[in-house]
Amino acid sequence: MRWQNRARWLAIPLTVVILLVLLFPFFVMISTMLKTGKDVYTSPPIWIPTHIEWSNFAAVWTQYDLASYFLASLIIALGATVLNTLLCVPAAYAIARLRFPGRKVSMYLLLMIEMFSPVIVIISLFKVVARFGLLDSYVALIVLDALFTVAFNTWMMNGYFRTIPKDIEEAAMIDGCTRVQTMTRIMLPIAVPGLVTVMIYAFIFAWNEFLFALTFISSKAKMPLTIALYNFVGRWTTQWQYLTMAAFLALIPVLILFYIIEKRLVAGLAGGAVKG
Amino acid sequence: MADATASLRRKLWNPEARLAYVLIAPTAIFLVAFMFYPILYVFVMSFFRTNKLSDLVRFVGLANFIDRFHDQEFWWAALRSLIWTGSGVAVKFLVGMTIAVLLNVNYRGRKAARMAFIIPWASSVPISALLWQWVYHPEFGLLNHTLKISGLWTNPPGWLGAGFSAFVACMWVDIWVGIPFFALVFLAGMQAIPHELYESAHMDGAGGIRSFFSITLAGLRELILISTLLSAIWTFNDFNVIFILTRAGPANSTNILITSVYMNAFVDLRFDWAAVQSVITFLILTVVSVVYARFYFRQENI
Repeated sequence: MRWQNRARWLAIPLTVVILLVLLFPFFVMISTMLKTGKDVYTSPPIWIPTHIEWSNFAAVWTQYDLASYFLASLIIALGATVLNTLLCVPAAYAIARLRFPGRKVSMYLLLMIEMFSPVIVIISLFKVVARFGLLDSYVALIVLDALFTVAFNTWMMNGYFRTIPKDIEEAAMIDGCTRVQTMTRIMLPIAVPGLVTVMIYAFIFAWNEFLFALTFISSKAKMPLTIALYNFVGRWTTQWQYLTMAAFLALIPVLILFYIIEKRLVAGLAGGAVKG
Repeated sequence: MADATASLRRKLWNPEARLAYVLIAPTAIFLVAFMFYPILYVFVMSFFRTNKLSDLVRFVGLANFIDRFHDQEFWWAALRSLIWTGSGVAVKFLVGMTIAVLLNVNYRGRKAARMAFIIPWASSVPISALLWQWVYHPEFGLLNHTLKISGLWTNPPGWLGAGFSAFVACMWVDIWVGIPFFALVFLAGMQAIPHELYESAHMDGAGGIRSFFSITLAGLRELILISTLLSAIWTFNDFNVIFILTRAGPANSTNILITSVYMNAFVDLRFDWAAVQSVITFLILTVVSVVYARFYFRQENI
């Protein structure tokens, strides 16, 4: 195993260098978020603050209303998650288990919708949303965020249902369960890991969503985190110590959630060649 | 004849198919209302002159398309999209592959390194873009400061301030977000390649580089295809990074097709132009996603 040792000698330093480069903005974030305003705007800039300003943590909640933006993001993301799950689970079951004309076409469509950019339809969505009287409402964002992950999540869920052996279902039906009963009592409990994955994915998507919120939300009280932080930049001199602190806090939930689903996400995206 | 219609009816309308339609209906209705209808409407809009409120004013046939094709900025945006996507995916691919190879070596702390490599992908793109804006700050940003004091680049550009450097700076942020996807997919693929293959290649006297090309890359072929197509679509579609960092400026220098849709509509209030750009972008995406879907189905065998 000499080559293994040699490889290690090369791999570890290279890994460290690439990580230093890739994590650079996060080092900057951590360096800035506890600085005083004076340290943020010194030229030349400094990495280590002269004074650690712990009060920045409190300031983003008290002076900048971070709680209100967190709440908005949470309402939108939870709403989108619930709606998305209600839509994609039954559809995925149908595609995975039932024979019906148009099944193949719908699978193709799903895979193609997944590639779809919301930017392309933003101008007509604006009209649709206005027509329904949903401008500047959570409902618009909940519906759109849920919808733009529904294809991928139906696809993922379909993959899960497919891995469950058909015998289990058939046995239940022989025992007198109806289709719907086998679906809710047998299939769903087994597919819980898949369910968790699609729910988290829907949540993350909505939490990070920018374009719809930018286009459809105008009142400050309903702004989610992404838009609130975006609007925070560029007015006079940005107080980057607060912005980086808020960014840090906004990133924590998505990072944790992403780690839970990361492996299954990769498998879902890359198809059969990768096992989840 | 009666038999044929009856059997067709049975095929379309048996209890199993009925249940399937019921289960799919809610998703289908939402998709029609908020995706298919809007696409159709964009197509319709592209043949009309619109006013500043995006109402259709009068039918103009292909005039909007001809307008756009005569506008140099349209071709510049298309060219930028091409460079943006082509070189972006190439860099993501190469760096991602390198990371996958590094993570495939067995050492202590490998799991931690893997987790660290994921962070750029796991983070929220709008928030990362905001962080980069601060990193790139010409006077108070730590990037240029670090480049200078480390001697790596004594005279770095002001990044987002000038055309070319802004384009490169935006492209790097998009690349940075997209690297971990390749790294993880390739790593997963590499770990599925049986170890015996490498051992027997080693016995046959094949060196590390040879076995990388003939075993690793050969084993990853399908995966490379699928992930590259997927990454190309994401890269092409990246609106957030550019919009947040530069709003497609300065002087349009970071304007690509996808951002020009938004800029035409909500900045210039030329909704008809935006519709034309949407239609063109939609057609490009459709072609690529059909290819993606075909490869996906081929390997999945459904």
